[in-house]
Amino acid sequence: MSDSSPLLEVTDLCTTFTTPTGPVAAVSGVSFTLNHDETLGIVGESGSGKTVLSRTVMGLQPRRNVVVTGSSRLNGVELVGASEAEKRRVWGLEVAMIFQDPMTSLNPVMRIGKQIDEILRVRRGLSRSAARDRAIELLELVGIPSPTQRYREYPGALSGGMRQRVVIAAALAGSPQLLMADEPTTGLDVTIQAQILNLLDDLRARLRMSVVLVTHDLGVVATRTSRLVVMYAGRVVEVGSTRDLFARHRMPYTRALLEGSPRLSNPAHTRLVTIPGRPPNLAQLPAGCSFAPRCAYATAQCHVERPELQPADGLGHYFACWNPLPTPTGVS
Amino acid sequence: MTRYLVRRLVTFVLVVFVISVGAFYLIHLLPGDPAAVILGTGDSPANRTKLYAQLGLNKPIYEQYVVWIKNVLHGNLGTSFISETSVWGTIRAAIPIDLEIMFISQILAFAAAVPLAMRSARRPDGWLDRVLSAGSFTLLSIPSFIAIVLLVLFVAIDLGVPHTGVSSYVSLTSDWVVNLESLALPSIVLAVGSFVVYFRVLRSDLIATLQEEFITMARSKGLSQRRILWRHALRPSSVSVLGAAGVNIGGLLAGGFIVQYLLDIPGLGYTLIQAIGLSDYLVVQGIVLVVSVGVVLINFFFDMVINLVDPRIRRE
Amino acid sequence: MSSAFAVSELLESPAATPERKRRLGLLFWICVGWLSLNVLAAIFANVLPLDNPLQQNYSAINVGPSLHHLFGTDDLGRDIFSRVVFGSRVSIEVGLGAMAIGFGVGAPLGMLAAYRRGTLDTVLSLFMYVFLAFPAIIATIAVLSFWTPRSLFKIVIVVGVASVPLVFRVIRASTMNVATREFVVAAKVQGATDRRILVKELLPNVAPIGVSFLLIGVATVITLEGSLAFLGLSVSPPTPSWGNMINESRTILQTNPWLAIFPSAAMCLFLLCLNFIGDRLRSHFDVSDVKL
Repeated sequence: MSDSSPLLEVTDLCTTFTTPTGPVAAVSGVSFTLNHDETLGIVGESGSGKTVLSRTVMGLQPRRNVVVTGSSRLNGVELVGASEAEKRRVWGLEVAMIFQDPMTSLNPVMRIGKQIDEILRVRRGLSRSAARDRAIELLELVGIPSPTQRYREYPGALSGGMRQRVVIAAALAGSPQLLMADEPTTGLDVTIQAQILNLLDDLRARLRMSVVLVTHDLGVVATRTSRLVVMYAGRVVEVGSTRDLFARHRMPYTRALLEGSPRLSNPAHTRLVTIPGRPPNLAQLPAGCSFAPRCAYATAQCHVERPELQPADGLGHYFACWNPLPTPTGVS
Repeated sequence: MTRYLVRRLVTFVLVVFVISVGAFYLIHLLPGDPAAVILGTGDSPANRTKLYAQLGLNKPIYEQYVVWIKNVLHGNLGTSFISETSVWGTIRAAIPIDLEIMFISQILAFAAAVPLAMRSARRPDGWLDRVLSAGSFTLLSIPSFIAIVLLVLFVAIDLGVPHTGVSSYVSLTSDWVVNLESLALPSIVLAVGSFVVYFRVLRSDLIATLQEEFITMARSKGLSQRRILWRHALRPSSVSVLGAAGVNIGGLLAGGFIVQYLLDIPGLGYTLIQAIGLSDYLVVQGIVLVVSVGVVLINFFFDMVINLVDPRIRRE
Repeated sequence: MSSAFAVSELLESPAATPERKRRLGLLFWICVGWLSLNVLAAIFANVLPLDNPLQQNYSAINVGPSLHHLFGTDDLGRDIFSRVVFGSRVSIEVGLGAMAIGFGVGAPLGMLAAYRRGTLDTVLSLFMYVFLAFPAIIATIAVLSFWTPRSLFKIVIVVGVASVPLVFRVIRASTMNVATREFVVAAKVQGATDRRILVKELLPNVAPIGVSFLLIGVATVITLEGSLAFLGLSVSPPTPSWGNMINESRTILQTNPWLAIFPSAAMCLFLLCLNFIGDRLRSHFDVSDVKL
């Protein structure tokens, strides 16, 4: 809040993979901003492009067979089209990532401690013992018992939840301002999920970071984010404050997502509704609204003309739909 | 870790035992009276007594094994009745040459295979990868004996690289320049053969490793590509290549035998072929035993290295 | 350095893995053609208009290639072309014969061990492991040097037996991959006999891997026979084989390099084709988890 300019500013970002069968637009024309000390949720079904988006935002897309256009500025530094060397300067120290599956994101043949303090030694030039002390501190911070002993162990000795804590510690090691968390709890037991999410929340507040939380589970973002970006087939279909989107969503897809996730406000035994059909094939998107084939409100127009984002109010709530849901009456 | 070690040690002992039985039994494959065949031109009552003491030939077969293995364990592989020298002495003189050739060729092979496999794996299907893959595939189909003949024919003769001479062979300690010169050709031939295998195995494992999420994670830490390759990708990719190296040693020795024979380098291979030609069976038996145990030892060594390199193996 | 969130998960069709879909290719069929030509020539060598490979001709010693002698003649005036063709017989016979023994014993045992598991598997696997640790090449040299007089038949037996553990291991591993799949379990539940499951369900799935390994095995055995020829442990002169021709050429390398070049080329091409076909088949059937 001390800084008025946004931390992350994404404008018209497009990520297109070149495949043997033709180009696949995984992310098309996505724009959003993220302020300091804010948590942004990116939600959507699997295959909606949210993982690709979260990586492209920090320039972490694969090196080959991919075209990225648009702009993504972190602290004013453009990352789209930046060289690998330029991006490396930012990675780890300004933005860090927490990956989906802690079983695969830790190197199985490298000691835990080394995976955490590597960045301190290589990027910050800390001495061996200073880096070690800091790594043990970090392990303690993320709630790993007997950190001194864990420091010397291999990831194989830890459970999934503990491993994800190590991944978080490794991400925190460079003291980044922005943490990209890509479905950080999907690979974990339900009981562990809440622990990890609360830990992230707590750390965010303590270390005054901004977080982008990518998830398919709206229950995860409800209380932990201030704003939401809803994605479908590589595009943003609705964006706004978390409160607005839960209470006054206009896009049928957002509603479908909400109905698909359990909510405490619902009466007991409310049936969860699944969205009919499957996410579209990104290689062959329909001409109009990508959601139209699965949408109960779709009209002829929806199938031929793609709706652009339009403001719902003057408060940063936007949606892309020809037949938006009515605003619930009685809510101001 | 200890359980793993114990299990490996037990199989190691088992394998060595089987090898010793096999090597012992070779004698009985000889047609007719083994004593007569072994003694050959050296057949005299005195030598016959000596041979019987060594092999216990007049006893039942399992007792023969006991007599023989006791002698072997005391370092007594018998005396050649053809050359009238101690078999162990003959072998011991030849071993350093094999070790040296093997050592040099493996260093060369790994020194070339690791960086080139990394280059290839960084851009699979790039031009360098295509050239290296096609080249290594072709080399894979050239047996070492053909390679050495062609090298002598097209390279060694023209360049004046030493390529023959038991007489000219000098040990490492007496003149290392001459020694290395005379071992250059065999070492290079064997190195190329090993390189091909290591390159191919390491390349495909590296490509698989580089797809892993932990590599993306390393990348997201802002580490240099060189560091990611050497520190993050190499170790998890090296299990197969180390295994291949262990298995390769046996083939390498046999390849080394032929190369030595072709270039007249008095190592184990050269000695073995001489002994086969002279029907000097005790020397053949001794070399078979020593080499087999050596190969198993080297395999065991590589197993242990793999174990250190990849903690996942231990947990299985 | 593409990462794990590959394009494949974004696509409905698995088109992102083009290598698997690729056809066998022209080079593959060229190799098949070359191998067939070699094998046919070896079979019909007697009927083909070739010089007698043993016929010495002292008026044409160490002659270079000409129309009359396509590959020239050796130091005894024998026609090199004819000797290369007849020499291929030894390689092909040893290669196929040894692999017939290796697969005849190793493959059924490997399939059975993988299908039955339990004690049978444990015992067989340990046994094979111990013999695999025995360096096969050394063992072959050892047995052949003692088991006199030497003959092609004995070479086939020794090399064949030495290959059994290797075949066993490969076939066992690939059967194991298949044996746990649903259709095998389904067949079991439906009460199919073991024999039926092994032959009808498992064999067709293991066979492609077996064939590709067989080809690579034949190439390995041919190389081994060549090495044995060098050590004087293979067929004895004057019978031609690629190995002993190359061996004989050493002494006259400088006067008549053709004697080394032609059999070497014939052998390398033959091996290259075998390896190429085997490798291509292996990637075609995508058996990446079976390491040879």
